Amino acid sequence: MYAFDFEKPTTVAEAVAALADDEAQPLSGGQTLIPTLKQRLAMPSKLVSLTGIAEMQGVCTNDAGQLCIGGATPHAVVAAEAASKYPALSALASNIGDPAVRNRGTIGGSVANNDPAACYPSAVLASGATVVTNNREIAADDYFQGLFSTALEEGEIITEVRFPVPQAANYQKFVQPASRFALVGVFVAKFADGVRVAVTGASNDGVFRWTEAEKALSANFSPDALNGLSVSADGMIGDLHGTPEYRAHLIAVMTKRAVAAAS
Amino acid sequence: MSVHRPTPHDSARLHVTGAARYVDDIPTPAGCLHLAFGQSTIAHGTITAMDLTAVRASEGVIAVLTANDLPHANDVSPSIHDEPLLATGTVHYVGQPLFAVVATSHTAARKAARLAEVTYDTKPAILTIEEAMAANSRFEEGPRVYTRGDASGAIDASAHVIDGVIDMGGQEHFYLEGQAALALPQDDGDMVVHSSTQHPSEIQHKVADALGLPMHGVKVEVRRMGGGFGGKESQGNALAVACAVAASLTGKPCKMRYDRDDDMVITGKRHDFRISYRAGFDHAGRVQGIEFVHYTRCGWAQDLSLPVADRAMLHADNAYFFENIRIESHRLRTNTQSATAFRGFGGPQGIVGVERVMDQIAHHLGLDPLEVRKVNYYAEMESADGGLSAPRAAAPLPPESILTKKKQVTPYGQEVTDFVLHGLTADLAARCDYEARRVAVAEWNAGSPVLKRGMAITPVKFGISFTLSHLNQAGALVHVYQDGSVALNHGGTEMGQGLYQKVAQVASGVFGIGLEQVRLTATDTSKVPNTSATAASSGSDLNGMAVLAACEALRARMADHLAAVRQGEPADVVFEGGLVRVGADEMTFCAAAKECYEGRVSLSATGFYKTPDISWDRIKGNGRPFYYFAYGAACSEVVIDTLTGEYKVLRTDILHDAGRSLNPALDIGQIEGGFVQGAGWLTTEELVWDDKGRLRTHAPSTYKIPAASDRPKVFNVALFEGDNPEATIHRSKAVGEPPFCLGISVLMALSDAVAACGAAYPALDAPATPERVLKAVMRVRGDA
Repeated sequence: MYAFDFEKPTTVAEAVAALADDEAQPLSGGQTLIPTLKQRLAMPSKLVSLTGIAEMQGVCTNDAGQLCIGGATPHAVVAAEAASKYPALSALASNIGDPAVRNRGTIGGSVANNDPAACYPSAVLASGATVVTNNREIAADDYFQGLFSTALEEGEIITEVRFPVPQAANYQKFVQPASRFALVGVFVAKFADGVRVAVTGASNDGVFRWTEAEKALSANFSPDALNGLSVSADGMIGDLHGTPEYRAHLIAVMTKRAVAAAS
Repeated sequence: MSVHRPTPHDSARLHVTGAARYVDDIPTPAGCLHLAFGQSTIAHGTITAMDLTAVRASEGVIAVLTANDLPHANDVSPSIHDEPLLATGTVHYVGQPLFAVVATSHTAARKAARLAEVTYDTKPAILTIEEAMAANSRFEEGPRVYTRGDASGAIDASAHVIDGVIDMGGQEHFYLEGQAALALPQDDGDMVVHSSTQHPSEIQHKVADALGLPMHGVKVEVRRMGGGFGGKESQGNALAVACAVAASLTGKPCKMRYDRDDDMVITGKRHDFRISYRAGFDHAGRVQGIEFVHYTRCGWAQDLSLPVADRAMLHADNAYFFENIRIESHRLRTNTQSATAFRGFGGPQGIVGVERVMDQIAHHLGLDPLEVRKVNYYAEMESADGGLSAPRAAAPLPPESILTKKKQVTPYGQEVTDFVLHGLTADLAARCDYEARRVAVAEWNAGSPVLKRGMAITPVKFGISFTLSHLNQAGALVHVYQDGSVALNHGGTEMGQGLYQKVAQVASGVFGIGLEQVRLTATDTSKVPNTSATAASSGSDLNGMAVLAACEALRARMADHLAAVRQGEPADVVFEGGLVRVGADEMTFCAAAKECYEGRVSLSATGFYKTPDISWDRIKGNGRPFYYFAYGAACSEVVIDTLTGEYKVLRTDILHDAGRSLNPALDIGQIEGGFVQGAGWLTTEELVWDDKGRLRTHAPSTYKIPAASDRPKVFNVALFEGDNPEATIHRSKAVGEPPFCLGISVLMALSDAVAACGAAYPALDAPATPERVLKAVMRVRGDA
């Protein structure tokens, strides 16, 4: 780890100000960033902790019925507090990593990092959630822009993620057994106006929507609606844990499982 | 008398409270220095320049050693001196130590080690079996071949013939305590080394050569290891030698421990194997002729690869009598870590080969694989009354044909006189309700299109002894103190397996005293010299007997004295229940010890044991390499998901032959652990190298070992109790490696489940990851 300065502001405004410095970087739960720093793969001049900001903590429902989760809310809190409001999201949060990750890692950190094997991006995209930052609201469809890449600008902080709550939803994760990251994860969400399917873990471009499946499921929300549908292995991740073909195959199976579990 | 009792591990409390001391826990004297290796980043090439300026300038660095700085031998090989401690111009694998940093802290040393600027003239690396065969890159002049009869002719004359290939991966040892050593300079140039090693005498030998000292100038001490599994038979040499050299040069204590990633990248692993085979058989599945070709990647240095590959050949028959057999073995030299000893030492790989053949024969004929295995079994041993050994539970007698068979001989010329698998398998099948459950599984599968179950029983017959015959010896040193407490020392090392406890039980039995009066002291080359590695499952067999000899000598001296004083007969002196009785006189053992001391009786004795009746010519492939065989069988049931290839082990039942167990609790622990580790090898543990020869699975985040939660949900383990016909320590049998092979039942159960998906044979490779299982399902269904 290289040396850096450290600040722990208590308001979003203070955090934004602190992040104005060159090479300053926000630190949320640190479950990715700290190991990265330990490997000396990053050299921020200053870390600005977001976990002391009260307005970025917690889970509530707004007037529109959306589930609003503060950006610095740990996975374990989401798992507990979303259980009755958005069970599929709660289940996803309760199965991320290990207890240390769930009690330190935050939704904002995960969504800002946009790791191609992270769980949360699939929920955000499948739910059509809104990513709220210190200066704007970004629709999920505009937010994710490829591997570790998002619409966030330098110094922009995710203060909240707002989830429309679907009529039915489910997340199916095929776990890479050593790391417990998703080899493939599929989040299916059924809304009154259609079904959204988001896939994580599989693509070289990070989380994506499987629109063909969405169309079929919007017409008929049942596992059978997916019969005959498949995903091409082109562009899928091939690594020591699985071939592109295996990942493509698993997407179809996980999607069916998710629909079966949700319907 | 505590022998045969299920007493807990002597360090159990220390283990679970964290108080057990390992090398890194030993308080060091002031000024202790720490070492780290700078490692090669390429798989093969010559070093054209190595600029260590930045390394030397790094904070806390005291010294940087290269091959040129070593005062004497630059060698840490356990075999043919082909493994320099520090590279001498050519590098042979990614991770090879190039230089050693000596610094004021572990972190300072590691940080500095990364600052070297090394340039290489890169050469093509030989990484795969195909590349090694094409380049004829191998150890020994050509393949070893063991043969009996005319395998090829017998196969061609058979009613049925199958052939195939199975690949099985290597395995990381993943001992919880990584490699570690601590060297303490002594008076007049001598050296004391604490090492996490299974082989203190070898550490002593290598350190002595590196320092230019006779062996008496080096003392190696090992209290315990946090797991070894064969990974500390030779792989600890580099750390111990590096520390000793640095300690000698600096005059300071020196310590080294590998970080987990470094440990996985630098050290050798289990040999991966490819086995191709061809077998001819009759309508009952009885093999008429069989051929195997073994290919194994040995890595860059020879290490223990020859005996490992030999043992794979010696277990190519497993439990089956083959009149006509040919085994060809290629020991390939590759630019990867030097593969080394790992629980089973090649035996499991050889057994997987023949178990695959049995499975495929059964599939070919549409028979229950267990029936095929049984018709090929060796003949059951004869019991003392001339009949066959009575099965020890209500089990059917072996078929009539077995009764008429003569003594059978292995392909390598050893008579199989102790075979118990007919009775043992029948007993296991009855205990686990095998036949009814197989029917139930078939019915369940018929109604289950997505999930399929599978079941398999696989046996193991494992040869016990070092195949290098002279290693089958052990020494012990036993003291009785005047207060009646007893201190034992022997050449065996404790790595969690419970050796110390078993040996203490032997001693307490001889003196008729409680275990609390017996103390096992750390293995120490200055107390017992010229020891063999604690390996080949031989720890209790060898060291138990050596301690027994020493204790009996002491007891005889005590009895002589106590009887003489009382005008009694030494033979009438009884040591029992903490008391010693001489005629009508009775005293505590403590009082007896004091009386003997005051009577000027020597109360210290050495003991020695060498395994009798073994001889082996590894070039001819003939002799009696093993004193006896240990046996066992496991029945596993699995369920697979044919959409993803995921699976679970639902139930495993094991019946294992530990002879007259010295300690049933410890033996069952070894069997449970061995099975889980064996199943892990064949299922989740996958080593992946990239095309540059870099090991990509070098941490628990990428390499999955089984955890406690991965054991079968129903897991019944029992001992097949009975005397070892050979005169081993209290008629027990070795138990370290044989049960590892029981994990093969999981691979075969997976094969059985995949076979339920279609007509073709699954031909499942290992490790059977979900992706491989899915591919096999698709192949069997014909839509690969």
